[in-house]
Amino acid sequence: MLENLRKCLETKIATQANLVQLRGQKRTIITCMVKNGVIEEFSNVALGGVGARVLVDNKSWGFSSTSMVDASNLEKTLVNAVKLAKSSSKLKKQQIRLASAKTVKADITLNAKKPLQNFSADDIAEIPLDACKGAREVGQRIAEAKATYISIADDKYFLSTEGAEIHQNITRVVLYVDIIAKGNNTICPASESLGHAGGLELFDKTSPYALGKTTAEKAARLLNAKAPPSGKFRVVVHPTLCATLLHEAIGHPLEADLAMSGGGFGNQIGKFVSSKLVTIYDDGRVEGGLGYFPYDDEGVECKHTVLIENGVLRSFMHDRTSAALSSVSPTGNAHAWDYSVEPLIRQTNIGIEAGDYAEEELIEDVKEGLFLEGTFGGQADVNADFTFGFQSAKRINHGKLTEELRGANVAGNAIEVFKTIDAVGKDAVLRPGACGKFQFAIQGRVVPAIRCEIMVGGMGE
Amino acid sequence: MSLDEKWMMLGDYVRKTIRKLERKGITHAEAFFTSTRTTEVAIRNSEILTQNRADDDGVGFRVVIEKNKVGFACTNELSEKAVLEAGEKALAIAKVSSEVPNFALPAEGTTSKVNGLFDVEVAEVNVEDVVDIAKRAIDAAEEYDKRVIAKDGRVVFMAGWRGVVNTLGVDCEERETRTALYLAGGGEHDGEVTSSCSDYTFKRTPNLNPENLGENVAKKVISMFNPKPITSFQGTVIFGPEAVSYQLCDVLVDALKGENVIAGRSAWTRRIGEMVASENLTITDSATLEGGFASRSFDDEGAPSQNTVAIREGKLESFLHNATTANALKTKNTGNASRFPGGLDMVRMIVGNGYKAKPEVYPSNLVIQPGNKSKETLLAEIDKGVLIEYMGGFAQAGSGLISAQLSQAFYIQNGEIQHPIKGGMVSGVAFDWFKQICGIGNDSKQFVNSFVPSLMVGNVKIIGA
Repeated sequence: MLENLRKCLETKIATQANLVQLRGQKRTIITCMVKNGVIEEFSNVALGGVGARVLVDNKSWGFSSTSMVDASNLEKTLVNAVKLAKSSSKLKKQQIRLASAKTVKADITLNAKKPLQNFSADDIAEIPLDACKGAREVGQRIAEAKATYISIADDKYFLSTEGAEIHQNITRVVLYVDIIAKGNNTICPASESLGHAGGLELFDKTSPYALGKTTAEKAARLLNAKAPPSGKFRVVVHPTLCATLLHEAIGHPLEADLAMSGGGFGNQIGKFVSSKLVTIYDDGRVEGGLGYFPYDDEGVECKHTVLIENGVLRSFMHDRTSAALSSVSPTGNAHAWDYSVEPLIRQTNIGIEAGDYAEEELIEDVKEGLFLEGTFGGQADVNADFTFGFQSAKRINHGKLTEELRGANVAGNAIEVFKTIDAVGKDAVLRPGACGKFQFAIQGRVVPAIRCEIMVGGMGE
Repeated sequence: MSLDEKWMMLGDYVRKTIRKLERKGITHAEAFFTSTRTTEVAIRNSEILTQNRADDDGVGFRVVIEKNKVGFACTNELSEKAVLEAGEKALAIAKVSSEVPNFALPAEGTTSKVNGLFDVEVAEVNVEDVVDIAKRAIDAAEEYDKRVIAKDGRVVFMAGWRGVVNTLGVDCEERETRTALYLAGGGEHDGEVTSSCSDYTFKRTPNLNPENLGENVAKKVISMFNPKPITSFQGTVIFGPEAVSYQLCDVLVDALKGENVIAGRSAWTRRIGEMVASENLTITDSATLEGGFASRSFDDEGAPSQNTVAIREGKLESFLHNATTANALKTKNTGNASRFPGGLDMVRMIVGNGYKAKPEVYPSNLVIQPGNKSKETLLAEIDKGVLIEYMGGFAQAGSGLISAQLSQAFYIQNGEIQHPIKGGMVSGVAFDWFKQICGIGNDSKQFVNSFVPSLMVGNVKIIGA
């Protein structure tokens, strides 16, 4: 593939563009989904192709992708990209400037402790089977136990007419456990996940069996729990839920493309936008983070970017275009899900710096509130208005955790919610995450527990 | 190479592979394959952001060996060798897989053509024409009112082929085109930025009517100026078509899917023949709807399309099935195998749709039979309530629990809209709401997998901010 990509950059058509970026990729995804002890889906997905992105007349982008990667088809794809870019060039009012980035030549392979290629299909199947086994041992009330193993092996090239030539070879592994408990005339779901960039050493600390079992125990327990109340509460947000809150409601408005479209954090650099206890960063180099990317899909090095420092807005996440508009350096946040789509500004591993509160200390100052745990995902808009689900809650009464309650949704405006943070937990944990901003992405989150005020939409009293 | 030439080539490799697999002692083999060409223009902050074209061809094989052990593998490499390798990988995986109870594939059947699925103008579109549609949508929104900004949008033109071949005699293929226009706008008024307001059009033809859509988006944005908070109350809610399509249909689909019924996970398990909704509610799955966005003459396993009445006047009549779920419940296959299901399944988001995944049960066009009242007539009947055009969040699978943000909603008093609502949520169990439906609009709208009107529901809990 590398030779064909190099040749493509040397074709005559490449000279018609201000910039050509070629991304070649081979991706192998193995999925093994076990439901109630039966392997229901075992798949090998082999995908490959090249995406050509071009800038013409310094104001118009074009992009074209193909799965046929021979030299002649690559050239045709590039011709298409140039034609597409020119099609709207005349309509464009504004020039596109790109922030300069170091021209990188790099060859990176992630060395996993337990590389995927050392394991057979039988070994792989054992992973979700074990998780299911752990779940089913909880008993009759587990109506459905589903465990899904996924590995993604990416072999990626980035070449540009600026001279970049980057090869990245990275594997990722995730395990999802989804439980549905039934009884007491009701149905109750619970889910958990593990995931990282690396190999099967993912399961050295937490076994699939243990993950299955604890998740199923929770779902079974919640069958007897009451619904949470509704209204505004003082809450302690467990890292599992804090991860979603951070990513969806604070992370997205800190993405420069969304920030520049108005609302949220726009035009507030240097101003207090959050509680002084809050420092937020994005870091593509967090070891083991599911969002581990040494270089982004514009060839820019990923690094540790402080976004909010002690409550003050310091930076957005940028690609080369938004960085130029803001007269700053790009932050390595241009990522594409695969070769067939264009890079967008995405989070890598977004994190909150740990504070100094132990979990008990977070709880003991709350007179009447809720401890919210687990996530069912959610959504937020550029104004940081969010809605998302938590899996369970515990009532806090005079500084003590009391009865366990079922899940519901929380909603509000995250910027307002983050201003109410009055304590940050001391243990930041690495969580796997995913995002669907126009295209899919897998990402990491590094999050402690936080204490704040939030609106809960429960059905109970 | 043209789309049609690639399609011929792919079909040839696929059929050769199926014949080779047949000689390897398998029980069944199936191939699902597509060739598509998609042209897309993206809008960002009043400008055309980018235009892109994707050519994609691929095939996914399911190979079944003794004891119903199934393996799946796919490739998007258009070569005889890669296609054969994918077939062989599926066989190798089947050998380490476990028995799938009641596994079945459809046998050869008679499919009848559904009209209005292909439009040559879409297939042969020039990117300039797609750019023009985007431009007209932006202009229509921003010229309607200067305070409105077209923040985000997409115009998509897709042409493609879809085919299924299996060792039970199924060998069918169909050509189709799809077009879609999406525009989201926002606006600033008195220093307050509205949340984003969007509209969609899903078609098979190039007639996306961008002026109309742009103007609608602008009207929506302006309608959200000067929002006010409300206090909590129980009242009548009108769910607009988008709110019905986005969250209420998700609950319906979850309860109607054959696999959920088998797992006992559907709230309507063993309730065929019972009243599950208000008697003014009739719901069909209509795969043969002429020009419908999700219409098709055969499903994604090759079973012939049909119309299935799921709920007739409130009474549950049928679930939705593919070959396997129908076999498990010893009932008729309703032709609902889908390789393009909606929903938020993580595996599917990682792996992708179409040839990259095995089929699930999902509606084609889920049609809620419209009523005969306009939205204004419905509104006039309400003393105190809320009109919800769009609600954020999502429904909880199984339980039907919805606690959603009032993203675009209006407070109603004495039959009239008073003001847009700031903050607040709506909370309840969608299965209860279906029983409390007291009015249905005549304003049906096509979404990706549904065609639905406004629903008016009594006694719904609204939480103030």
